[in-house]
Amino acid sequence: MAEMSEGDPVEIKIDWDLCMGSGNCMFWAPDTFDLSEDGHAVVTDPTASTDEKIRIAAQGCPVGAISLWRNGTQLSLEQGG
Amino acid sequence: MPGVETAADAAAMPFDPYELKDMVGGTIRDPYPLFHELRQQSPVHTGPIDLGEGPDIGEGHPDPSKPPPVTVFGFDEVVQVLRDNETFSSVVYEDVMGIVMGRTILQMDEPEHKKVRDLVASSFRSKMLARWEEELVAVVVNDLVDSFIEQGRTDLVRSVTFNFPVQVIARILGLPRDDYPRFQRWALELTSVAANWERGVAASAALRDYFADVMEERRAKPGDDLISDLVRAEVDGEHLTDEDIYSFLRLLLPAGVETTYRASGSLLFALLNDRPQLDALYADRSLFPQAFEEVIRWEPPVTVILRRVARDTELAGVAIDEGADVALMIGSANRDERKYTEPDRYDMFRSQRQHVGFGFGVHVCLGMHLARMESRIAINTLFDRLGPFTLDPEADPPHIEGMAFRSPLSLPVVFAAR
Repeated sequence: MAEMSEGDPVEIKIDWDLCMGSGNCMFWAPDTFDLSEDGHAVVTDPTASTDEKIRIAAQGCPVGAISLWRNGTQLSLEQGG
Repeated sequence: MPGVETAADAAAMPFDPYELKDMVGGTIRDPYPLFHELRQQSPVHTGPIDLGEGPDIGEGHPDPSKPPPVTVFGFDEVVQVLRDNETFSSVVYEDVMGIVMGRTILQMDEPEHKKVRDLVASSFRSKMLARWEEELVAVVVNDLVDSFIEQGRTDLVRSVTFNFPVQVIARILGLPRDDYPRFQRWALELTSVAANWERGVAASAALRDYFADVMEERRAKPGDDLISDLVRAEVDGEHLTDEDIYSFLRLLLPAGVETTYRASGSLLFALLNDRPQLDALYADRSLFPQAFEEVIRWEPPVTVILRRVARDTELAGVAIDEGADVALMIGSANRDERKYTEPDRYDMFRSQRQHVGFGFGVHVCLGMHLARMESRIAINTLFDRLGPFTLDPEADPPHIEGMAFRSPLSLPVVFAAR
């Protein structure tokens, strides 16, 4: 897995079979994530939040339903500290 | 109005709810060096562990045919258990919580858990909670501030953090104001059931009868409150049964009142002991989400989550037999040095924001958005009304204590009276 870094935009994938609608992604990056009527997480605007906010949102998903990709490579969600 | 005769009695009774508070959490001030030592030995331990007090793991084990209990101290291992809800079952909560609360989502496994959780979940989404922010939570906190603001000093635990979550829940349920005193009494008796079993069970029965009357009213005349939401809730043609609703409403008391009171107190404690961070949040309220998440990492109000192993398995190289009870030490996982730098420091600016203070996986805290909203409104209201407050230099410095549940017992502060 690659580290997150500046460059091409991050592609966000949400696995709806896993998503439980906790709303944590929306809490960390409200400009990018929302919950649909039936309670699934959806991406509203992938460019409206910083990469760091999107990373924290993906990391905070309690069921690991969010993965981040750049140029076909999955990005690591980890960052020390 | 339900049960008018006893409501009048309860309202007339002189009653200081704070005095009813039992020391259910224990008195340990700093369990973290012990967690550190045990975590260094191994992230996963088998057999009884003496934690000094509180929920001793496997102490006086009643059933010798049961496999030895397992205690998990590492962050990655705790996450692994909480993610694998098929191997690590929540049925363990049936034994204690189930008897007092009734059958709740806490003790359910899939697919039943998802079905029932989906029915109650929509009321706890952040968009639904927004309707309660100003009209409800801010009103409660402002009323409490009115009672002491003239004095220029107060104990924030006794005057604010201990009182506001139960009043918020009472309002969210749409209960009549005259019922608040007895509702708060039952809530405390139920949440301190470990200290007085018979009293807790009696409070549970009283709450069931009380909620039965309220539900009947709301069915006839629905309002903009949580009980009306629950009565109406429907997913794929399924509704909650009356018993589901009683159990869920009772669960709201330990889950929604006790934890929020402790979390908001610990957040104030962290800030009052770190002036630069208090000043930073005072000046920039947009820091609140990270300030709050960091306290849930640093001092989670609930330090232990339990599971039971449904099939023989293995964790961090340790074999675990089917039927073993597993204690997940949330307070230890949240300070795992493999995950965090300077784990013992409260630092709202740390970049590692992931924690298991709200749990993880399908059972992750349903009320986390409510807890975040309530605490944000409480802190903002205190800042706006009191100005920058400081610890009272004439009072003993406060401390956090407890084992299963932790928070400060007092927070004496002074501020410029206005």
